[in-house]
Amino acid sequence: MEDNGKKIIVTKDVKKYYKEEDIVVKAVRGIDLTIESGEFAAVVGPSGSGKTTFLNVISGLDTPTEGKVWLSGKLLSEMSGKELSDLRRDRIGFIFQAYNLIPVLTVEENIEYVMLLQGVPKEKRHEKVVQILEEIGMGGMEKRFPPKISGGQQQRVAIARAMVSQPELILADEPTANLDQATGGELLDMMRELNKKTGMTFLFSTHDRMVMERADRVITLKDGKIDKDDRKAKN
Amino acid sequence: MWFDIKLAWRNIFRNKRRTFIAGTAIGVGLASMIFTDALMIGMKDNMIRSATKSFLGEGQIHREGFRLTQEVDKTINNLDGVISRLENEEVVERFTLRAATFGMITSPANVSSVMFYGIQPSSEKFLSQIDDVIEEGAYFKGDQEREIVIGDDLAEILEVGIGDRTVITVTQAETGDLIQEMFRVSGIYKFNVKEMDTGMVFVRLAKAQEMLGIGSDVHEIAIKFEDIHFASKEDNPFWSEYSVDGNEAVSWTTLLPQLEAVLGLFWISLLVMGIILFGIVAFGIVNNMFMSLYERMFEFGVIRAIGTRPSGVRRLILLEAAALSILSIILGIIIGFLITLIFVKTGIDYRGIEIAGTSIHEMLYPVIHIQQFIIYPVAVFAFTLIIGLYPSIVASKMSIAGALRKSL
Repeated sequence: MEDNGKKIIVTKDVKKYYKEEDIVVKAVRGIDLTIESGEFAAVVGPSGSGKTTFLNVISGLDTPTEGKVWLSGKLLSEMSGKELSDLRRDRIGFIFQAYNLIPVLTVEENIEYVMLLQGVPKEKRHEKVVQILEEIGMGGMEKRFPPKISGGQQQRVAIARAMVSQPELILADEPTANLDQATGGELLDMMRELNKKTGMTFLFSTHDRMVMERADRVITLKDGKIDKDDRKAKN
Repeated sequence: MWFDIKLAWRNIFRNKRRTFIAGTAIGVGLASMIFTDALMIGMKDNMIRSATKSFLGEGQIHREGFRLTQEVDKTINNLDGVISRLENEEVVERFTLRAATFGMITSPANVSSVMFYGIQPSSEKFLSQIDDVIEEGAYFKGDQEREIVIGDDLAEILEVGIGDRTVITVTQAETGDLIQEMFRVSGIYKFNVKEMDTGMVFVRLAKAQEMLGIGSDVHEIAIKFEDIHFASKEDNPFWSEYSVDGNEAVSWTTLLPQLEAVLGLFWISLLVMGIILFGIVAFGIVNNMFMSLYERMFEFGVIRAIGTRPSGVRRLILLEAAALSILSIILGIIIGFLITLIFVKTGIDYRGIEIAGTSIHEMLYPVIHIQQFIIYPVAVFAFTLIIGLYPSIVASKMSIAGALRKSL
């Protein structure tokens, strides 16, 4: 493969078709895209435009029907299931629309889950959890269970879980969809700050205008293809 | 691993009602296994006791070939030596001497072929239950040498009652001549076993020896051991040590092979029941695990997405199965112990029922053994893990993207 240097995601003619009740759905119809390290980018488009499918493909959660995906210079199609799991564990942080914390684990346990998979020692895990909770404004809430905190707080914890192991890439699928405008805006600002502070790459899938306004780059998908790729001057 | 155990343990309490139902189903299955096992052991002991205590004894010594031909002249060789050795055996609690041959009993009304026994009433009462099942008359109470004790079915056939006269005809040992003697019916017993109630008559040993012309010899020594299980062991050296001088010593398992076969059948039925119960348990577990799995599909998608390997998902599901199993086992042990204990105290009344030629005379009491609370729980635990493999493999192989779509 060509030298991708600081290119964290490179896709070449990625297509993803799947069958739904005997009908072939062409969700992604050939996307060439490069995301560079440290970007704060958003993939936008109406429902059914292929945003989530595309995010699934570039994160190795789904395999493309055609085309190639490189993540941190590694060609995903050449990796085994175990290697993909390890790649996601070590290099990608996920934020989902519905927070998706494990309800039977405390805030601390949810955040330390990835570090546990990485084999980080207990003391170090605790230290990092406390630190990141302070950063997201939830200090002292380590022992709370997700059902006992608000939606906004749950999404903060989800962000903390995604970022605590300092992955290169954060993939956020509609992270503000279940939040009110004020909370959503606040969280986006927080992620923007973290992006600036840590240099982590953020890629959103969204149709939320607040995300588009804050993103440095807005990639618009239409019918499974890139319709527009707008870059803003960095602040 | 500790984290996974904690997660699995908390997960099974997410839906308390479902866990309670599944756990109860598995627990009741385990309790049934424990109770049935205890009942089977109790029934086995009861049947052995009933069979051996009725008349057989737990072991017998005869002249070789006597059991097959019942020939009158086949008396036990070196009787004094055998008696002397038995008297010094620590494992032997009691023994009694018997003369036995085929004979004919005649009354004014009818005639019937019978097994004619000469017994020692004083020692026989410790080996058999003839004295316990006397319905009319008495068990050799006086010193009349012409007393005879017969079964109630035989009395009906002969149309005789207490005090009536009967004639016994047997063959003498030395000459082969037929000899007849008159006896008065002194007692009528009822064992509830047709063969015994119609086909056995008892007189005093001395009178039988005199009629048969065998002097002071006998055909049979019935033995009762200190430990009932001693006789069940066919490879026991006792049998070979007394199978000398042309005699043979055998246990009840040889004398009553049909009982051994029936007991074998009991264990097969326990096995079949076990398979059925474990099958029910298996469906319970699979159903519970799949319901839990499909309910949390998105969650499994999330943990796979954030880097949990397929083996991690399999481990988590198996730990959940193990946690459910442990809860169920605790419940099953408690229920199983309590139910068994109740019946150990009250007993089950099967008295009067005949199984495999054996009449049950005692209350049936289940027998609690520590193994029941080890073997079956361990089996349930292992079985739960084996069954849990299926949903765990399904979960580990699911499409992550597909699982994540489940929330939409």
